[in-house]
Amino acid sequence: MGNQVFMQGNEAMAESAIRAGCKLFFGYPITPSSEVPEYYARAMRERPEEGITFIQAETEVAAFNMVAGAAATGHRAMTATSGPGFSLGQEAMSYMSAADLPAVIVEIMRAGPADGEILAAQGDYFQATKGGGHGDYCNLVLAPYSVQELCELMQESFELAEKYRNPVILLSDATLAKMRESVELPGRPELPVPSELPNALRGCGKDKEPHKVITCGDGAVQWGAFNDRLQAKYQVIREAEERWESYNLEDADIILVAYGSMARVCVSAMNLARAEGIKVGMIRPISLWPFPQKAFAGITGKKFLVCELSAGQMVEDVKLSVENKRDVSFFGKLGGTTPSPKVVLEQIRKMEVC
Amino acid sequence: MKQELLLSGIGGQGVITLGESLCDAAVKAGFQVTFVPFYGQEKRGGRTMCNITISDQVESPIISEANIMLIFDERSLHDYQELMDPNGTLILNSSMIDAEPTCQYGKLDKVPFYDIAQELGNPKTANIVALGYLAKLLPMIPYDLVAQQVERSFARKPKLIPINLEALKKGYELS
Amino acid sequence: MKVIYEKPKVFTDSVTTYCGGCGHGIVGKLIGELIDEMGLQENGIMVWPIGCSCLSDRYYDMDMMMALHGRAPAAATGIKRADPSKFVMVYQGDGDLVSEGMAEIMHAGIRGEKFSVIFINNAIYGMTGAQMAPTTLMGQTASTAPAPTGRCEDNSGYPVKMAEILAMLPGVCYSERVTVNTPARINQCKKALKHAFELQLQGKGMGFVEVLSPCPTGWGMSAVKALDWIDEKMTEVYPLGVIKDTEKEDK
Repeated sequence: MGNQVFMQGNEAMAESAIRAGCKLFFGYPITPSSEVPEYYARAMRERPEEGITFIQAETEVAAFNMVAGAAATGHRAMTATSGPGFSLGQEAMSYMSAADLPAVIVEIMRAGPADGEILAAQGDYFQATKGGGHGDYCNLVLAPYSVQELCELMQESFELAEKYRNPVILLSDATLAKMRESVELPGRPELPVPSELPNALRGCGKDKEPHKVITCGDGAVQWGAFNDRLQAKYQVIREAEERWESYNLEDADIILVAYGSMARVCVSAMNLARAEGIKVGMIRPISLWPFPQKAFAGITGKKFLVCELSAGQMVEDVKLSVENKRDVSFFGKLGGTTPSPKVVLEQIRKMEVC
Repeated sequence: MKQELLLSGIGGQGVITLGESLCDAAVKAGFQVTFVPFYGQEKRGGRTMCNITISDQVESPIISEANIMLIFDERSLHDYQELMDPNGTLILNSSMIDAEPTCQYGKLDKVPFYDIAQELGNPKTANIVALGYLAKLLPMIPYDLVAQQVERSFARKPKLIPINLEALKKGYELS
Repeated sequence: MKVIYEKPKVFTDSVTTYCGGCGHGIVGKLIGELIDEMGLQENGIMVWPIGCSCLSDRYYDMDMMMALHGRAPAAATGIKRADPSKFVMVYQGDGDLVSEGMAEIMHAGIRGEKFSVIFINNAIYGMTGAQMAPTTLMGQTASTAPAPTGRCEDNSGYPVKMAEILAMLPGVCYSERVTVNTPARINQCKKALKHAFELQLQGKGMGFVEVLSPCPTGWGMSAVKALDWIDEKMTEVYPLGVIKDTEKEDK
């Protein structure tokens, strides 16, 4: 068990971010994300040696732009929010991707649309993976399914953001956020020197080499070339960063597809089904953008059941991944209810009968 | 080994603290534990419910059926009894619940946690009496670990430790 | 040959594309001179808005960020909080600062962010074609407040006095309104900018300089007439002078 601690998802994630060298947090409290700004606010006062800066922004609009400014200096910076706040941040998501800013955004999904409910949901999948803002841009989206993975992907988000000079969205949900679980907190990785990151704002120094963060076009030719460069960046990410985990695919007749807290439910449902002799496997996408299409390559003669806490959003990516050639069905709940493993098992049994 | 628990009551009754203490002790006993709280939007007087799994392996934090269900108020009984395992143990706080459950259960224990806590001299310890009661039903978690957890959770109010340890023992001996 | 005048060293060789008679170029040159004189180029970061000045990235050899519309004070907060040793200058127009970004500038002032803000008030949206600004005068015509009434109170309320509003915030240590329609006032504008920059270097708090700036194209008048219009109309609503200077009050 080593250095395991029993910690809440939000708090463990915040601690992991601090250990990853993210000493700048800008945010606006919103349930179910508020433990993250609260954790940073306490750490700023109780651990002065860490040099933490926490600012409670007036709006998520401001918080996202503060993150953009801080990230432009090469320092690790983040915010955490939930649905309505994430919507307000979309303008900045588009901006940061275009401006090559290595920001990390934690989005803790709750049940929408509108003001909605504070319970867990996954209805912000489209918004996160397809781009809720304007223009042709893409952001990496990582979806953990345990408190341990939340901590590990938190740290990896910064590495990926810096590697590709692009925002990374860590997509959590209200269950993962509030859940307590044993976790081994990650260590403190070697950090790049902020001012040495490409194009980091630092003053142009004695060599008078200015660094400029500009996303304002200058005619169709220039702006077309700017967009082509962005698309090339996204293509490199698409090819290199598909992540997923597969379970029991070899002999499976039915393959569950789920991510986040719903994937945790599906793992238990898979085990219940196997105990009954139903051959169930599972694909758990970890990167939602880029979607792990390779996970589905070469799978034939099997049925897919996509389980989501939405009206069916990821199911579209699954259908694209199997080129609409396989039997893909969907099971979901809306409004903040997470189905139990037994409820998913009933769906699996229905497919068996078919 | 796998145990699925559901605890529910009204905000302020200490259901969440109870659940967290039990989980901390279970972790120290070496189990894979998940704890998920569910709150109403109101800060006081709303519903507080939690799902707990204690297992040898990684499990869904959302439970299918409660092997053990501890209910502190009547509305919670009404809302959650459908999640009762037909072979499980249903524990009702009879200080506040007159209604009879309509679900199937293996065993029904009616325990007046508030009256017992009142007799001990502090009705606020009702949740700790209940913690003791649960500890007896979960013998794979050593009692000492639970008692240590109670001491830790009152570390900032050391005056309250003796009465809470007494409450824990009382609950443990009841079941 | 003796050099009697040259452009600031921080300037690139790009030529500005502002309309004839526009105030942006004047303020832009004053900023360039101060950066040279105060040695701010090596350690300074400029944050530009969306508006006529959003081509400013071409004019300065400086580190800079072009923020989203209205968000410059938030972006500057991120920069300054990440590295408080940097000199950070924020430049915004009236659409950016008063309309789209009212929350951002107000809260930067409420938090007492230690950067300098230059606010160009020309009472019109110059870049997008002379639409009404929150600072547009009563009765003044704009493409979205057309004749015969121009801006009227039942539809659009009243002009906003940002220098006075910000001066009410304890986090703002200096607020002054200047203009650039005569050589003497251009010198006063430079003094005000310099004071705001110095206060930042001393770590005092937010310095805010509102500049009444001519927009002959947006106002539909000649460059010379625009200079007069500032005296005849604008200063009546937006009086010139120091509104707050905690440094002077201390002395």
